[in-house]
Amino acid sequence: MAIAGETITQLAADLYEWSLKKVPDDTKAALAAAAPVERNTTGRETLVIMLRSADAAERTGGLVCSDVGIPTYSVKIGTRVQFDGPVRQAIVDGFARMAARSDPPILKMVTNPLTHERSHAGKDMPIVTFDVVDGADYVDITCAPKAMGTGRWEAAKTFVYPSLEQIEAFVLETVLESGSQACPPIVVGVGIGGTLDHAARLAKEGVLRPFDQENAEPMLAAMEQRLLRKINTMGFGPMGTGGDTTAMAVHADYSASHGFVPVAVSLNCWINRRTRARIHHDGRVERIE
Amino acid sequence: MKNLTLPLSRADVDDLRLGELVTVSGQVTMSIGLPTHRRMVDLVEAGTPLPVDLRDGAFFHLSCYNRERADGSHEALYLNPTTSTRYDAYMPRLIEGCGLRLVGGKGGLDAASALAMQRQGCAYLSFLGGGCTLLSQAIRRVVSVHWTDYIAQFRLLTLEVSGLGPATVAIDAHGGSLYAQLREEAARRLQAPVHHA
Repeated sequence: MAIAGETITQLAADLYEWSLKKVPDDTKAALAAAAPVERNTTGRETLVIMLRSADAAERTGGLVCSDVGIPTYSVKIGTRVQFDGPVRQAIVDGFARMAARSDPPILKMVTNPLTHERSHAGKDMPIVTFDVVDGADYVDITCAPKAMGTGRWEAAKTFVYPSLEQIEAFVLETVLESGSQACPPIVVGVGIGGTLDHAARLAKEGVLRPFDQENAEPMLAAMEQRLLRKINTMGFGPMGTGGDTTAMAVHADYSASHGFVPVAVSLNCWINRRTRARIHHDGRVERIE
Repeated sequence: MKNLTLPLSRADVDDLRLGELVTVSGQVTMSIGLPTHRRMVDLVEAGTPLPVDLRDGAFFHLSCYNRERADGSHEALYLNPTTSTRYDAYMPRLIEGCGLRLVGGKGGLDAASALAMQRQGCAYLSFLGGGCTLLSQAIRRVVSVHWTDYIAQFRLLTLEVSGLGPATVAIDAHGGSLYAQLREEAARRLQAPVHHA
C-alpha cells in the first residue's frame, strides 16, 4: 500500500505546529530537574518562569516563541515504502498549509538573504534533508524550526589531525561566543569528521537527539560529559542572566575523516523545538514526540 | 516583585538592581526591525520628532504580531523578545536621543549602550525568550501603530500593557551589566583546562 501525499502534507503541517506550541517532555524534565539545584536566585526563578511559559503555551495552544524560525525537516525513508506521488512537494505544501491556517497566525520569518525581504515562503523552503533506512517499512519525519537566536552562533572549523582537546576547545569557544544570547540553557550538537557539510549534518542530528539516548561511542560519551560539565561552569545561566544551568545536554557524533577534520557546532535554545512522527507503510501516523 | 509604571523618572530607574525581577505597566513602544532602528536614528539625528514621544518611556525589542481589523483599528495578538545585540550600533543614539528610561529584549546590549544608559538614566530588561504566551497575557490594547510600510514586527508599535514580565534587570543605570560581568567571568573560567579522564 502506497503512502498518500496528503498524509505527508498534513503531517508536515502538524509537526510544525506541534513544534511551535510544545516543549519536548525530556526538555521540560531537564528544566524541572535543574531548578531546585540552581544556586543563582535569578537563574532559579528564570527556570521556573520557563516551565510556566511552556505550560501556558501547551495548555492554551499558544506559541512558545514568536520567532517561528525557518522550516527544516529531516526525512528518513524506509526502502520498502511506496508513495502515491511527489514527496518533497508534499512537505512544501504542508508548511504552506500551516503558514496559511496557523492559529494564532505566524510572523514572516523566511528571509531572502540577498534582499532581506521577508515572507512565509522562499527559495528552497522548507529545508528538507532525505536519508534512506534500508529494509524499513516506514517514513520518519522530524521537524525542527530554526531561528536566529541560536542559528546566529553556530560555527564550523576545519582542523588537521586535531586532538580531542582542540575539538573541545572549539566547542567551548563557540558556546562562549553565544554566551547570554542563545536563550540558555542550550542543547549543543557536535559533529566531527567527514566533510564540512557532513559534519554540520552530524551536529544538527546531535541537537535533535533525545536526552535519554546514550552515546554508543565511549570516547564521545566521555567528551559529552566533559563539555557539559565545563559549559555549566561558565556561569551564563538561564536566559544568560547568571547561573549554573547554561546547557542541558551535549550530543556529539563522528564520521571517518581524512587528515583534515571538519568540526561543526549546532545549538538549540531552551525550548528545544523538535517533533517527530512515523508514517507506517499502511498510512498510519504515529506521533513519537 | 516591583511593578514599574511608565513614565519613569531617573530616580525610579536608579533604584533598579542587577538581577532584580520586575514587571512593567503602562505604554511601551517596540520594534524588531533594523530598518526601523535606522529610520529612528535618522530622525533623531535630523532633530525631527519621532511619531511617538519616547521621553521617560520604554522601547523594547519585542516582536509583536499586530494587524488591522475590518474597522481600521489594530489588534496585537502576541509578543516575545528578540536578541537586542544586533541593534548595538543604533541603541546609544536612541537611548540618549529619545530620553529612554527602559530598554529591553533579550541577550543584552554592548558597552557603548551601557554607557549611554548610565548617562541617560536607563535600565535594560531581559524578557524571557520563549515567553510568548506568558508575556502576551499583559497586552491590554494597541495605542498606536506607525510605519505600516513595514511587516508587522518591524512597525513602530505602542501597546498598553499591565504587568508585562517578569523581566530581569540585566543592565542598570549605573553602568553595571550582567552580560559584561558574566562574559568576562566565563572567559576566565575557561582558562582552566578541560580535564581528560
